[in-house]
Amino acid sequence: MNILVPQNWLKDYVKTDAKPADIANALSLHAFSVEKIIETANGEPVFEIEITPNRRDALSVLGIARELKALLPRLGFKAEWPEIKNKKGNETDKLKLDVQIADKSLVPRFSALILEDVEIKDSPDFIKQRLEAVGQRPLNNVIDITNYLMFDKGQPMHAFDYDKIKGAKMILRESRKGEKLITLDGATRELPAGVIVIEDGDSRLIDLCGIMGAQNSEVDQNTKRVLLFVQVYDPVRIRKSSMVLGHRTEAALRFEKGIDFEGVIPALWEATDLMKQYANAKEASKLIDILNVEYETKEVLVDYEKINLVAGIEINKKTVDEILQGLGFELGDQKVKVPSWRYDDIDLPEDLAEEVIRFYGYYKLPNKLLTGDLPKRTRQRLFSLEFTVKIFLKHQGFFECYTNSATSEELAGKGALQIANPLTEEFKYFRTSLLPQLAEVITKNLSYGDRIKVFELASVYLSQEGKLPAQPLRLGLVAKGMEFLEFKGVVEALQKEIGVKDSVDFKIQEQKEDVLMAELDFEELIKKATKIKSYQPLCGFNSIKEDLTLVVPPDGDITYPQIEKIILDSDRRILKLNFKGIYKNFLTLAIEYHDSAKQISSEQTQEIRKKIFEELEKKLGVKLKM
Amino acid sequence: MDMDLKELLSQFKDDLKKISSLEDLEAVRLKYAGKKGVLAKFLEEIKTLSVEEKKEAGKKINEAKQEIQEKIAELQNSLAGAKSASAQDRFYKTLPGKKIAAGHLHIITQAIREIVEIFKPLGFVRVRHPEIDWEWFAFEALNIPATHPARDEWETFFVDSPPDEKYGRLVITPHTSNGQVREMLKNELPIRMLGISRCGRRQEDVSHLQTFFQFEGLAVDKGISITHLKGTLDYFAKNFFGPGREIRLRPHDFRFTEPSFEVDINCSLCLGKGCNFCKSGWVELGGAGMVHPNVLKAGGIDSKIYTGFAFGWGVERTYMMKSGTQIDDIRHLFNNDLRFLEQF
Repeated sequence: MNILVPQNWLKDYVKTDAKPADIANALSLHAFSVEKIIETANGEPVFEIEITPNRRDALSVLGIARELKALLPRLGFKAEWPEIKNKKGNETDKLKLDVQIADKSLVPRFSALILEDVEIKDSPDFIKQRLEAVGQRPLNNVIDITNYLMFDKGQPMHAFDYDKIKGAKMILRESRKGEKLITLDGATRELPAGVIVIEDGDSRLIDLCGIMGAQNSEVDQNTKRVLLFVQVYDPVRIRKSSMVLGHRTEAALRFEKGIDFEGVIPALWEATDLMKQYANAKEASKLIDILNVEYETKEVLVDYEKINLVAGIEINKKTVDEILQGLGFELGDQKVKVPSWRYDDIDLPEDLAEEVIRFYGYYKLPNKLLTGDLPKRTRQRLFSLEFTVKIFLKHQGFFECYTNSATSEELAGKGALQIANPLTEEFKYFRTSLLPQLAEVITKNLSYGDRIKVFELASVYLSQEGKLPAQPLRLGLVAKGMEFLEFKGVVEALQKEIGVKDSVDFKIQEQKEDVLMAELDFEELIKKATKIKSYQPLCGFNSIKEDLTLVVPPDGDITYPQIEKIILDSDRRILKLNFKGIYKNFLTLAIEYHDSAKQISSEQTQEIRKKIFEELEKKLGVKLKM
Repeated sequence: MDMDLKELLSQFKDDLKKISSLEDLEAVRLKYAGKKGVLAKFLEEIKTLSVEEKKEAGKKINEAKQEIQEKIAELQNSLAGAKSASAQDRFYKTLPGKKIAAGHLHIITQAIREIVEIFKPLGFVRVRHPEIDWEWFAFEALNIPATHPARDEWETFFVDSPPDEKYGRLVITPHTSNGQVREMLKNELPIRMLGISRCGRRQEDVSHLQTFFQFEGLAVDKGISITHLKGTLDYFAKNFFGPGREIRLRPHDFRFTEPSFEVDINCSLCLGKGCNFCKSGWVELGGAGMVHPNVLKAGGIDSKIYTGFAFGWGVERTYMMKSGTQIDDIRHLFNNDLRFLEQF
């Protein structure tokens, strides 16, 4: 997510001679991408920074400042860190809050403090200006302070009107399906089960925890006593709830990424201090701090060798140690203690390698090519045959198309798999054939010309119970304005082009409007393809060629392959047999006779011809045209 | 006289052989059949002869004249015809050649072809992995657990079918990275893979499509470092985009790589100096990183011995970044308008 960080706010934490452009460049190359530098109305630069999901610690001014403090000196800039004292308020025992937490996993840390004598008014200018600079509308001092600290320290917090919490009682629990509450933005929200909520002594829901407060407990002009509320919630539940409710607030976006466990109490005291200064508030309770999980510091091995292996160059130990220390890691014996704000992010030696190498500078590493053994696999065959087929079709005048993998119910075919969360109706079912969509391409392009030829090579998706769907590659061809045998000729020739001797099964579908379609199982085709062309010895003897015209009985149930087989089987000296043409039921064939042992004579061909006619007539009733 | 006429005709025939134009022919005609031509002279000469002789000679002269005139007319026709024929022929040859019905390869195929050819000499072998795959390969194996916010980045399409106990739901792979662990599980090291497949995401606008292609590079071996990733990508950039181009890495975060990078390429206009178009001198190209130890583990590879790098970029997007294609709306690519397709 992107955050806004005003430069003058950064100065609270880090004093530097680096110019805004230097800061932006340093952050982009070593830490976070600075998308742009915006200027406020009074000319103050504000950095818009993209924070990657792993770096929730940097979703605040403090987080960016911490990074800069470690980074800038390495780049030759000054970076001083003014001493910041942790504040602490005065606890009293005046007011109480009865807290009941049904399930400890909901809220790893629950902390709160009651304030009294609160004066609700406008915030001081610096708070208003800073909030405006990060795109927030100032409301009143109490609410603004809680918001201000979220942007300052990355800790979301909430302020309740203490007097609106009936019975001064809070039951923190998961919602039951169908419960309702009105949030601060005025929206009535019906909750699913499992959302973290707070119920008060009158059984009212008074907070949609970690996402947004409820209207019935909000701070208003008449508020006198405030419950300052600073928590660490279960990130998974917050994320799920906020997604289900479709309500992605700044607070939720931070809670769902995790909160610095040790930052909670300092943030609470900081807020108290600001409330005392700018709202005349006084502490009216003891600090409530319920720890529901044991927090242990984390230690990770520093693997210097691994760091060098990943970097591909040597980064000496001193530099490694300096970088890690600068980032807040405490050096120990071969291990470092991970700072609390990086707790969820750093687990492995590789994580430390990233920290070191990014600070060292990726741009300083040389460019090298891979060395070492070649991979065992060199299966480029399928892909090169694919390309051969595509090029072949291109030269036959076909346009290659890419259509969507999913389509409408109507075009997808029977038994098509369905998308559970489609974006549109036209993209809802996985196709089981390429042809319907290709036919649609023809329809869409009718004005292009009389002859339109298209093809696509892509997977179709076939459901298989309990298994991954089969995703065979298919070759779909669709043409308008081609003659049947011309179209068939292309399908036959493309197989020949990749060395398929024994054609795969294909069916040409004749559609209305002169459209022909065929779909081939491409994997089957590839199995039969062979690029190896074996040589037939050339022969010195001449062949004899002639045309024969046959009369095919018009009412017979005869196929061409039958005729072809009979002829070819009738004598070994028939070298070639080709279809030449057909007129009505007169079929003309070109035949070539050849004897590899000796020169063939016309007497011999006559003899062969006689045999052919006998066979044809006997078996199929096909005669020679007289 | 007889002899003279014969000689005349033979001379006439010789003269005809030398003719190559209508002008030449006219000269010959005047020479023989003109008012002051040879035949006229003959007629003049026979005036002195007897009536009987005159009649005989006149007849012969007229025959000769007729023959000469016929021949001339014949030649005249053929010469005139030849002249117009050669003009027609010259024009004919200026006509455009007969159009061969040329088809077209789709721009995506051309882009894939180019990408494959660049990685091939580096030993990267092209593969294809399932386009509908188990959630486990698309996410869990890549160190992205179900509850992780990083999943937001992939607007994933799910298939309406019962989930598998181990592998979860079926998804349209939102990236080609599902192929990483599938490739590792083949148990053939080292790996230099170039996976190119269709992917799908729930988004559609001028720069995004529900269906699109990615190319995924994966190298796993002993001793692979960031320098190898940089070298490989720089080699690609120089070959794909042009010799003056180079890449740089910036820190980023992907769950399946550690460290992770955003890869930038220097701007095609200013080559990295910074200009009005690019501002900083660099333009984002895509993501990359060193394979996360948890991903190697999911693929059954020991991360103490092996390291690797990976990158996965959009084919269409990368191709459109190449200067010159000028495609302003990515949706053209799947619209299949032949007027668009014929331009590539």
